[in-house]
Amino acid sequence: MSLPKALQSKEFRSTRIGVLSERLIVFSLATCATITVLITIGIIYMLVSQSAGFFASDAVSFSGFLTDTEWTALQSKDLEKAKFGILPLLSGTLRVTAIAMLIALPLGLVTAIYLSEFASRRIRSWLKPTLEVIAGIPTVVLGYFAILVISPSLQFFTDGFTTFNATSAGIAVGILCLPMVCSLSEDAMRAVPRSLREGAYGLGCTPFETSIKVVVPAALSGIVSAFLLAFSRAIGETMVVALAAGTLPTFTFDPSQQAQTMTGFIVEMIKSESEYGTVQYFSLYGVAMTLFVITFGMTLIGQIIRRRFQESYQ
Amino acid sequence: MSTMPSALTSQDPKYLTNNAIRRKRLSSWFYGLCVAIAFVSVLILVVLLAAIWAQGQSRLTVDLLTRAHSELEIERSGMWPSIIGSLIVCFVCAMAALPLGIATAVFLEEFKPTSKPLRLIHGFIQLNIANLAGVPSIVYGLLGLTVFVYMFNVFGQIKVNESPGLEIMGADHYYQVMTLQPGHVVFVPQEDASVREIEITEPIEAVDNSGNRFELAVWKPGTPRPKDEATKRQTIEEGAIGGTITRRSWYYFRLPLDKSFLSGGFTLALVILPIIIIASQESLRAVSPSLREASMGIGATTWQTVRHVCLPAAIPGIMTGSILAMGRAIGEAAPILVVLGATVMKGGGPEHLMDNAITMPVLIFNWAGRQQNEFQELAAAAIIVLLVVLLILNSTAIIIRQKVQKAHN
Repeated sequence: MSLPKALQSKEFRSTRIGVLSERLIVFSLATCATITVLITIGIIYMLVSQSAGFFASDAVSFSGFLTDTEWTALQSKDLEKAKFGILPLLSGTLRVTAIAMLIALPLGLVTAIYLSEFASRRIRSWLKPTLEVIAGIPTVVLGYFAILVISPSLQFFTDGFTTFNATSAGIAVGILCLPMVCSLSEDAMRAVPRSLREGAYGLGCTPFETSIKVVVPAALSGIVSAFLLAFSRAIGETMVVALAAGTLPTFTFDPSQQAQTMTGFIVEMIKSESEYGTVQYFSLYGVAMTLFVITFGMTLIGQIIRRRFQESYQ
Repeated sequence: MSTMPSALTSQDPKYLTNNAIRRKRLSSWFYGLCVAIAFVSVLILVVLLAAIWAQGQSRLTVDLLTRAHSELEIERSGMWPSIIGSLIVCFVCAMAALPLGIATAVFLEEFKPTSKPLRLIHGFIQLNIANLAGVPSIVYGLLGLTVFVYMFNVFGQIKVNESPGLEIMGADHYYQVMTLQPGHVVFVPQEDASVREIEITEPIEAVDNSGNRFELAVWKPGTPRPKDEATKRQTIEEGAIGGTITRRSWYYFRLPLDKSFLSGGFTLALVILPIIIIASQESLRAVSPSLREASMGIGATTWQTVRHVCLPAAIPGIMTGSILAMGRAIGEAAPILVVLGATVMKGGGPEHLMDNAITMPVLIFNWAGRQQNEFQELAAAAIIVLLVVLLILNSTAIIIRQKVQKAHN
């Protein structure tokens, strides 16, 4: 009688080596996980140490940085005449972001309601891939779309729009954020249990009342966090605004004018190949710091809302 | 006898009917609105694709795929170097991000700690990854610029013709000297890399273009000048100045990495790392716990369970997520623009490890920002090529996903 194969060729290892190699593997996996924390620390250290060089300069004061209404880091090579006030860049970012949110939030939310409450299986099966395709379009393509299609059509319908303006960039950023708002809100709404909807219908609610008065409030934490994530995405969006929003920092609320944003300024600064080490060069770290603080805060609040206020139904 | 609620006693039938009609009408209007808005996204996609196709289809030529960017021959500019550049940068990015991302996901998902302080750290890492996913890609670009390109200037800053940084391997330094034969140069091997220029006064060992070593003769002005070409090729004038020239092998490596495709790839890896981690975690979470329990039950350790049970079951999902992340990496322009600069003047792919590269999105950004009509059309054509590449990647991901779903059913 022949023995089973497992018993014929027994290869036993010392348990001690096994334990040791197991520990080693766990340790190396933990090291990988630590690297992600190191990245955050690296970003913060990089921003703080490099922008320290910017704020240490005599031409810059911290209060002036926050309150001055002129930003001429690129235009004036002469440090004496350069003005460093973040407000024009911030207003440019806010104009573009506000327009983007006006597009992305209502459209995204309504599309999400349609997908989760009304759409048949067949419509879902091709509407969702369409949204995924839009989400996968590179941002530089959307920027090109903004100057190719959106700006000329704005100029066609209304007067007063320059070729590069905050509105067309804002619309393109809105298109970019739409799939994100939609898929995150839809996930939240699909997590609402069926019994809530059945209860609402049983009380005589129309489909409209069920979705607006029952499902949306129940999924509110997910929807709000989707909004916040989309907002921070729009603030950090770079290529669209670099192509379509223009290169002039303006401190207005007029959406038909050029609007250099914070990210747009960083790109222009890099493109200008300004000399490393000048105050103008280091100003981009000051801008990046502002950008990072805003987006990091937004994402953090979004994540916390999603975790803390998540309604769990059993 | 209890009194009836007022809502039941005072009923106005007319009001109730009207109210019901109003509510139903509102609901059907809302349904119409939903349908209309849902189709807006489809419309946007159709308009976008149609506009870009109309603008770019006339430029979809062989030239576009095989030639490089050219300021002089705008008509025949192409994107060959950027296709190669994108592929190489994304390869580096995948090599760096995939092992790191999957290892992190395995650690977070399979080795959940039980003690309270470790659980806190675990939650912190998890929150941190979600936050990293929200950091704008241009900030990663700046991180790459500081950490990979300049390395905080620890190894000195790279300056053209002055300081090459800390060279580790693959570089041969020579002094380049003109010989008496016009237009012919020979190379004198360098001994001390810090001396950037030498003055040659006595015969010295040298190599010519094909690598043959010979003794370099010196001709003193005033003495008879050599006549035949072979001697002239091996003779220099006394006091000739030799400037440094560097020959780089393909494995040339130095620190800091400077504006090389390695820096670009590593920076992109930072950008897509959170995406890969989150996708891998989700597919590991989808592995049925009973599989794990069975494996543990027959005496496997946690790592053996992960290695032989969980990972094989989760690998299709991980691959789908990774391919989608690579699609994001190929289309990402901002970090590459910051790290590698906005130049597009390059004739081919990278020649050594420290060579610069251009990528498709950066080229598109450059072309789209120009005034000439030709470049606008070229940008559209390049976008079509980029979208086709993305389409191939994404359909691979979808095919994998469907195969797996079929296997599960």
